[in-house]
Amino acid sequence: MTDAPAADLSLTPRQKIFEGGFPYWHEVVLALLLAALMAVAGYLDPRFVQPSRQLMLSTHVWELALLALPMTFIIVTGGIDLSVGSMIALSGVVLGLSHEAGMNIWLCCALAILTGTAAGALNGVFVSFVRVHPLIVTLATLSAYRGIAEGISSGRPLSGFPENFAWLGRGDIAGVPVAAIIFVVAAIVAGVVLWKTPFGRSLYAMGYNETATRFSGIRTRKIKFILYAMSGVAAAVAAILLVGRRNTAKADIGAQMELDVITAVVLGGTSIFGGRGRILGTVLGVLLIHETKEFVSWYFQNDPLIPLVVGALLIVAVLINSALTPRGRE
Amino acid sequence: MTTLARTESPGIAILGLLKQLARQREWSVAALIALTIVIVAIVNRDFLSLDVARNILVAAAPAAIVGCGLTFVIVTGEIDISVGSLMGLCAVAMGQLASPSYANLPVPAAIGLMLLLATSVGFLNGLLVTVGRVPSIIVTLGMLTALRGATELLMNGRWITDLSPGLRFFGTGTFLRVPISLWTTGVVVMASIVLARDTPLGRRIYAVGSSPSAARLAGLSPNRIKLFAFTLTGFLVGVATLVSVPQLSTIESGIGAGFELVVVTAVVVGGTSISGGKGAIIGTLLGVILLGMVRTVLIFLKLGPAATYWERAIQGGFILLAVLIDHLSRPRGRGEEEHA
Repeated sequence: MTDAPAADLSLTPRQKIFEGGFPYWHEVVLALLLAALMAVAGYLDPRFVQPSRQLMLSTHVWELALLALPMTFIIVTGGIDLSVGSMIALSGVVLGLSHEAGMNIWLCCALAILTGTAAGALNGVFVSFVRVHPLIVTLATLSAYRGIAEGISSGRPLSGFPENFAWLGRGDIAGVPVAAIIFVVAAIVAGVVLWKTPFGRSLYAMGYNETATRFSGIRTRKIKFILYAMSGVAAAVAAILLVGRRNTAKADIGAQMELDVITAVVLGGTSIFGGRGRILGTVLGVLLIHETKEFVSWYFQNDPLIPLVVGALLIVAVLINSALTPRGRE
Repeated sequence: MTTLARTESPGIAILGLLKQLARQREWSVAALIALTIVIVAIVNRDFLSLDVARNILVAAAPAAIVGCGLTFVIVTGEIDISVGSLMGLCAVAMGQLASPSYANLPVPAAIGLMLLLATSVGFLNGLLVTVGRVPSIIVTLGMLTALRGATELLMNGRWITDLSPGLRFFGTGTFLRVPISLWTTGVVVMASIVLARDTPLGRRIYAVGSSPSAARLAGLSPNRIKLFAFTLTGFLVGVATLVSVPQLSTIESGIGAGFELVVVTAVVVGGTSISGGKGAIIGTLLGVILLGMVRTVLIFLKLGPAATYWERAIQGGFILLAVLIDHLSRPRGRGEEEHA
């Protein structure tokens, strides 16, 4: 947590193989792992890999996947957002309460998105302008936002949403879940922004050396503010999907989700110190975690095994990654 | 990053000292605690009683004990967010080792094995961070998830109720009318303060956190010192489990969930810099008390049954308030990007 990695201009031959020549090793490894997992799963129980089964299981992943996109941006700049799960709860509860108060459901959705944006923007203000470490800010709002959600709802579940709203979380267009369409569009936009635009490239520069980036004329504080606000927007959209799918809003939705999201992003090859990471890796990381979880739960019928496997997967993946990276880079 | 001692002319030294005092996070936290106590005491006299104070302190004891270890970890520039899950695992291990319906070991053996388990997990965290070169937030995030899974596997949805009286003593017993957990907390806090201020090892911890490369050039081994901090934290989680879990009537797999947030938050509220090199045990202790009194305060303010739902919101608000006070008292106009 101490030193930001310094950009290496001179690469050793070994680095050229792993980083210089072909930059997608991490993605290849993830794809191979995913393929191996699916092969083993298909061998042990062919029903697991049937498309209809996979489509059914996929309902669990879209919110996580959606949150992983802005999280990748944030971690690339060297930041972190621990409050995403709590922002889901806050947006979801605002959605439920405003619906209970008799407002039009689409107005409620707009209000939820506004809430998420405001929550994210408050994180952004503290990180960018009060200049507090993002880990501390979002740790505080992790408590605060869930606390507000618990406070305004007194912890009770809110339900009774109309059918056309539930369609957002459960429905499909020509067999493709609505949530999946939202995610794919968002992922493509995020990938292009990170890969091709000056905005996206400046995130990497910030991750390597924020002070230097700011002195080179890039408005780093404004960028950070936008990123944390975007994380709030994504959390609100995820909340709408989640509430729609379960038809209930409660202050405990999205609990511990931040851990899954960060695990997926880091597994996807984004450096926790910033400066490195791609949307493709994040998408593969999300898929790998999702399939691992679903397979363990499906085949072993043993839910406590899931966290054990996911935790071990995270540590081992990063351990291998650091073993492949030559010394002296950290 | 922190700057080391700057040379100042003697004339402005006293003024500088006063300014520095105002800038110390300990003071803003202590002021917040004092203000809260005054306000609650005005609303409800009953708040000012020894029983209330004791209950707040007993509830805060585990966070204070683990907070001492975590302060060292954060001062070295690392972090450990696995302490809550480790506490769950320790609780379940201790319960199963001592319970007549499981291993039924004698109490000292059960305690010894539990402390060994806690210390080994802390050591493993340290090894993965130093030798494995995995960022500590990743290692302990993985452990946070994995250890909870292991705990649930061990318990398999059941719970333990038949703890022996010998073990219960550590949770509910008293010595000179003061609970054992408070004695333990006192010893741990005093030992940590001495370690931090008066021993070479303690000073090395700060040196490593301020500048790992400078510490390395000075002949210190940052890895060995970090390994020590992680191992100590693991051990202290075991100690905290020993004095807090026997208070509960049942041991189940959910013990310690969210504990890591309370401890990390308390350490940070207490003024320890998350980027390392700066922090004091006394600040951590104050942070633990500030966050620990929120629930009791809400009850004594008599705001109705719904009020306790706001506990987490207020805790979060306190953290933001503490960093905001810190920000406002910080000198302006610095060019560098500095994080509290």
